[in-house]
Amino acid sequence: MGSLFGSLSIAVGALAAEQGALQITANNTANINTPGYARQRAVFEEGAPVLYPALVLGSGVVFAQPQSVRDNILELRLHEETQQQGQFDAEVQQLQQAQTSFTGTNDVGSQLTNFFNSLNSLASNPSNLSLRQGVLTSAGNLASSFRTTAGNLQLQRSSIDLNVVQSVSQINTLTDKIAGLNRQIAAIEGVHEDASALVNQRTQSIRDLSQFVDVRVVQNETSISLTTANGTALVASGKSFDLTTNLDPSGTQHIFSQGSDITNTLTSGSLNGLITVRDKSIPDLLNQLDTLAAGLSTTLNGIHRAGFDLNGAAGGDLFTPPPVGITGAASAIKVAFTDPTLLTASSDGSTGSNGNVVALYNLRGQPVASGQNPFDYYASLVFNVGNGVATAQAEADASTATVRQLSDQRNSISGVSLDEEASNLIRYQNAYQAAAKIITTISDLTQTVIDIIR
Amino acid sequence: MRVNPNPIADLLANIDNAKQIQETALAQLASGRRVVVPSDDPAAAAILSLNHASASQSDQFLQVIGSVSARLQVADSTLGSVVASLNRAISLGIQGGGATLSQADRNAIAGEIQGLQQEVVGLANGAFQGTYLFAGTADKAAPFVLNPAAPSGVSYVGNNGTNSLPVGDTLSVATNVPGSQLFTASGADVFQTLHDLATAVQTNVGVDTAVLAVRHAFDSITSQRVFYGNSLAQLGTQQTYLNGVKLQLATQENAVGGADPAAAATAAVTAATARSAALQAANSLLTTSLFNFLK
Repeated sequence: MGSLFGSLSIAVGALAAEQGALQITANNTANINTPGYARQRAVFEEGAPVLYPALVLGSGVVFAQPQSVRDNILELRLHEETQQQGQFDAEVQQLQQAQTSFTGTNDVGSQLTNFFNSLNSLASNPSNLSLRQGVLTSAGNLASSFRTTAGNLQLQRSSIDLNVVQSVSQINTLTDKIAGLNRQIAAIEGVHEDASALVNQRTQSIRDLSQFVDVRVVQNETSISLTTANGTALVASGKSFDLTTNLDPSGTQHIFSQGSDITNTLTSGSLNGLITVRDKSIPDLLNQLDTLAAGLSTTLNGIHRAGFDLNGAAGGDLFTPPPVGITGAASAIKVAFTDPTLLTASSDGSTGSNGNVVALYNLRGQPVASGQNPFDYYASLVFNVGNGVATAQAEADASTATVRQLSDQRNSISGVSLDEEASNLIRYQNAYQAAAKIITTISDLTQTVIDIIR
Repeated sequence: MRVNPNPIADLLANIDNAKQIQETALAQLASGRRVVVPSDDPAAAAILSLNHASASQSDQFLQVIGSVSARLQVADSTLGSVVASLNRAISLGIQGGGATLSQADRNAIAGEIQGLQQEVVGLANGAFQGTYLFAGTADKAAPFVLNPAAPSGVSYVGNNGTNSLPVGDTLSVATNVPGSQLFTASGADVFQTLHDLATAVQTNVGVDTAVLAVRHAFDSITSQRVFYGNSLAQLGTQQTYLNGVKLQLATQENAVGGADPAAAATAAVTAATARSAALQAANSLLTTSLFNFLK
């Protein structure tokens, strides 16, 4: 047999349940723009039935633990793709800076053209001092262009080194935060409470970490651990492992984890993008510049020494000889003298002979570096620079599109919808008002019963 | 199926993308260039690098052709004067061989021939922009000097060097003929023949032979002069060719690295439309939800 107070109790329980649901709606709406937030869903459960003799009646509604709506597999996929995006974006950004050294009217290609043109001019009047000075000036500009380009690339490597140090610092901050969240989540879940807000924060922090480094998430019974793809520990449950940076003998920053150099073990993330550009892309460009500078100066010097200067004396080097092994040739190249009379235009010692300057000029079409003439070699270099940027850009675009697609999928599952929250608000409001009406009715009925006693 | 309720990131990406396409298209229209940095089109950038080097080289060739042509023209003109002098000497020789002339007349004619020899020496020492035209490659000193000990009274102190100058990828032109080849060639020594003619007229011995020798020298100079004419003609042809090459290179530059105005304009308009649509969609999506309709 039912009772008024039983009904009152059910109505009060309903009020509490709808209040809880309204709070979830308010919380979802408040966090609509919070990165990493996964919407919560109110869970209503029917109350345990009350048994009466020959009768079973319901006991109302129970407001159960709210659920965070999240697809963990999708989150992991998003982390992985974010790592790729971080790597390609870092590469594009750095390579775009590098390619600016290979454009414009003062690049090595333009100065090569000017230099050979000045030799051709001198060939038309080999004893003319103005034309001789013109050759020295354009040779100086060519050498300066080599040095400037190589210097800019070296400077960029140093700048990347600073970025590496900053990235490692940010990684350490994030791993510390994740370890702290792990501890809090374990503590809360240990007493069977809801830690979804902290789980959201941890998921977002892992996403942020994925921008920098290749993260693998290992889920264990009570917590998660993070490693790099190569197995370097970053977080183990409540403990984080800081990365450190140290200069290697060549002067570049290397990354260490617990004493081991992990610089070359990273596979993705912006940190690996920076290291790839610093240790591979830029050194490749520098090596090509060095090859051209060394090949050009060595060959030009050989021809220059075979000629005679304006005083009839045998010539010396036109450019300072490249270092042994050619590394650093582009950074070191300089014109070997400043006196225009020392240019060896003559092939026979007479002042009007242009035989040697023509030989110098003809070098423009002869192999000086890797079997290519200087202009073809430089054009290859320009292609390599542009192709590197274009390839990285294409990969970055593809990765960005994938991340966007995955984010869309993630939001379609975990994102807060205002329409949905508004409709829930109406539902919970109506239910709350109905429960309140029931309480009012029970109250009236109770008053009626009391009035009977009077 | 539940859709992404917050498409802001996608909308912004689409707006950014449309804006970038629009800006790129407008920049192409403004500059006329499609390839600004190597990554815009790496293969085209490499071709353009070579194209610019070739175009600059063609300009350089045209410049030196102008300079060398002027030198060759001066040399040719100088030889024209030498030819005129030799022609006059031949006339004087024929005149001096006349049987009715007095010794005084012969002496006067011989004197004039000697004067012609001095004149030719002056011409053979002609210079252009500070260098002697007929000195071989020893062009800083006058190549012909008066030398009483020499049979002709003139000695050549230049050398036999010749220069050639690249004026094309595969073309070089010789830019000088040494004075020894022009004026003191064996059997056609201009100074010797003039000296001999003056002596023959003065002594009235062997005038016809001396005149004939001057004729040989005249013929020699005339045939050597053809070199300059040929070189100038060759340079003229090369000049025409290089102007054609420049045109081709400009065409190639435009084809490889130039913007397609029609395509760029279409892209700009399309992107502007897409951007407007995306902005409109953003305005509609971001400002409307069920909350707006709750009373």
